[in-house]
Amino acid sequence: MALLTDADLGSWGTGHIVRTMFPLLVVLCAIVLWAGITLEDAGDLLDRYGLLAVMVPAMIGMGGNLGSILSARLSTRLHLGTTTFDPTDRLLWANVAAIFALAATIFTALAVAVWLFGRLVGTPLTLGQLLGISLLSGLSIAAIAVVASVVATYGSYRLGIDPDDTTIPIVTNVVDVFGMLVFLAVSRWMLVG
Amino acid sequence: MQPRGVFWSIYREALPVLAIALLGGLCSGLVLSGLLDSVADFPGLLVMVPVFLATRGNVYGSLGGRIATGLHQGLIQPRFEWNDRLVNAIIASVVNAVGISIVIGSLSWGVLTVLGREPAPLRVLVGIVLIASLLTAAVMIGGLLTLLFAGYKAGRDPDNLVGPIVTTLGDVFGMAFLFLAVVIVEVLVS
Repeated sequence: MALLTDADLGSWGTGHIVRTMFPLLVVLCAIVLWAGITLEDAGDLLDRYGLLAVMVPAMIGMGGNLGSILSARLSTRLHLGTTTFDPTDRLLWANVAAIFALAATIFTALAVAVWLFGRLVGTPLTLGQLLGISLLSGLSIAAIAVVASVVATYGSYRLGIDPDDTTIPIVTNVVDVFGMLVFLAVSRWMLVG
Repeated sequence: MQPRGVFWSIYREALPVLAIALLGGLCSGLVLSGLLDSVADFPGLLVMVPVFLATRGNVYGSLGGRIATGLHQGLIQPRFEWNDRLVNAIIASVVNAVGISIVIGSLSWGVLTVLGREPAPLRVLVGIVLIASLLTAAVMIGGLLTLLFAGYKAGRDPDNLVGPIVTTLGDVFGMAFLFLAVVIVEVLVS
């Protein structure tokens, strides 16, 4: 069977998808490159404390996950007309509190898991240092994810764009960049001073 | 629902998914710490790591979101069959993934050169991301479709499955194939 042309498929055509997605991908790529340069600059720190490299993908990935959960919930509530971005809205604060509780749980687990692995391979890092780095940077990243989700969802809504299409890419990429900056800055501060 | 009920329902629903994502992130972190040994041979490699991982999420997150919508609208059936919409969406994601990998390699090389950091040769950096992104595409598309179709048939909302599937598969296989690509290029270059 021959492929149908773009005209038959509308928004499902290969050309249409590539034309709408590719420019966005290039812009996001240029933004996240900043995180990459920060990581390359921290090469000396990673050489000295190899366990930090083990934490990097989980650290930045988790910020994006937390942001996506909150954004998806906020945009669903907007679609249903049950949220107003009123700072006295107690349900909004319950959502935010749940994100922080999840962050505290997951980043404690991350520190313990990395510490256990460190016991096997040998490392100068203590459980206290790992908990400090993981929770301090993890909760800061959660705060960035919350702010990014609320701003992106509210911004899309005010601009008349469906937040389902915009918030998750914006939030995950913003959190990738700031997550890397925060994690490496906190690690350097705790370990080097 | 009362705020307290909302709090606990989010916590209980999200925790298992986040725990799986954490495991994926840790596996990917172990590979990254192994990759550090090759950084001296290929300056610029670390710059590409976050960009490469973020791009996996953007390309396949969009493909997954599209398929989830298609399943909801009945435009796509939850099985592997020739469907023009599905085939077009998959081809588009491969074109995007391969195209952006060339951009990642070139942009990293360009920025590092402008900053005066002396990166590895352009063809080496582009070669590494290109090989990694082709290998990742095969696993991501196969894995995403299999898991989405299975989840949909089991009565789960595909919208809630896309995010965790893409993050976990992308982190684990993205890093693993980046490592493999470095090994392949090391053999080719030497």
